[in-house]
Amino acid sequence: MRFDVYSPLALSLLLSALGPVIGRRVAPALAVRVLTSAAVVTAAATAWSLVLLAAALLGDAPPVIREAREDGRTVADPVPEAIGLAACLALVAIAVRVTRAVRAEHRTRRALRRLCAGHPADTELIVAASPVPQAFAVPGRPGRILVTSAMLSALDPAERRVLLAHERAHLAHRHGPLVTAATLAAAADPLLGPVRRAVGFLVERWADEQAAAAVGDRRTTARALARAALTAGGSRGACALHFTDRAVTRRIAALQTSPPPPLWPAAAAVLLLGTLSALLAADATSDLLRQLSGALY
Amino acid sequence: MAGTGSRGRAERRSAGALESEVLAALWATERPLTPAEIQAEIDGGLAYNTVHTILKRLYDKGLVLRDADGRRGAYRPAKNAAELTAEAMHEALDRGPDPIAALQQFVTGLSPEEERALRELLAGEGA
Repeated sequence: MRFDVYSPLALSLLLSALGPVIGRRVAPALAVRVLTSAAVVTAAATAWSLVLLAAALLGDAPPVIREAREDGRTVADPVPEAIGLAACLALVAIAVRVTRAVRAEHRTRRALRRLCAGHPADTELIVAASPVPQAFAVPGRPGRILVTSAMLSALDPAERRVLLAHERAHLAHRHGPLVTAATLAAAADPLLGPVRRAVGFLVERWADEQAAAAVGDRRTTARALARAALTAGGSRGACALHFTDRAVTRRIAALQTSPPPPLWPAAAAVLLLGTLSALLAADATSDLLRQLSGALY
Repeated sequence: MAGTGSRGRAERRSAGALESEVLAALWATERPLTPAEIQAEIDGGLAYNTVHTILKRLYDKGLVLRDADGRRGAYRPAKNAAELTAEAMHEALDRGPDPIAALQQFVTGLSPEEERALRELLAGEGA
């Protein structure tokens, strides 16, 4: 147990180190799926390990162990008290972070519902008559695409088709729920932050590849991205401190080469990491149970 | 019937997707467009009749209007719902924390040197 219970933390770090590498080498559709699955399982395993550590702290107090000690039997103290306490604090922090992430999610949903109000239910495209160049997919049933008039008039017809195909890909492949899952995993396990960012970037790459396939032209797709980015960037002005992680530039660069291969071995390695964290957490659980039952008899 | 216009392109667009494209074309320009102009604008080899059918459907939904005082047969987008959506969007953007920042946006911010590189890319394409 001593080793197993800490390993999901180490695996989270490993997964975070691996995420960006996988993102560069593996086809985005596959990379998103395996990274998100592994992140969710690892986050759950990490949280469960903390529960075990905290429970082991309680393990000192319950009558089972005290009585066992009084009977002269030796019961190993599985977890130092300080670590047990730290685990309790970490669990509280996780609860706060996850609650906050869920609330933010609800807030976004509510805001999106308001944006769709007043538009016929069976229409895919929702236009906002706004001078702010903006385009995003609105997940739901049915999913919608929201684009502002400023964005539409900045693009030529072929580029507009890229934009629509890109947003349509987000909806068709349920990128919203995938990103939400990765976000919640990273909220529960902050060590997975880099995985969440990799997933966020990779769903854009995935949608870019789908758009390029739909219009049948990678160069037009790259051009649409460049034009949209310049339009959006220009309107924000110099004073706006806007975060940039070179995402658009990297997406355009990726479109200027051939699409990355599925690369199954790399994907399997990521899944293995996720499975490993679950197995180790399960093993740590049985260790603790054995210890407790050993104290009982 | 929507599939008739595909003419060997990489994509077979559904009726809903074609509707979006026609609506997007109308919003992209200031002036009303005739079905023939829209047909020329959407270079998917759509039949004139298809464009006409799509426009009629958009009209029935109240998303486009017939340009009464302008050229006959020209259409322009209906603004009401789009303006309400814009208002709601601006409100959401102004209010922090920004709920839309959490979404998969088509593009995000640029640094000055990235901006330069992208301008060069577009210039190199001759577009």
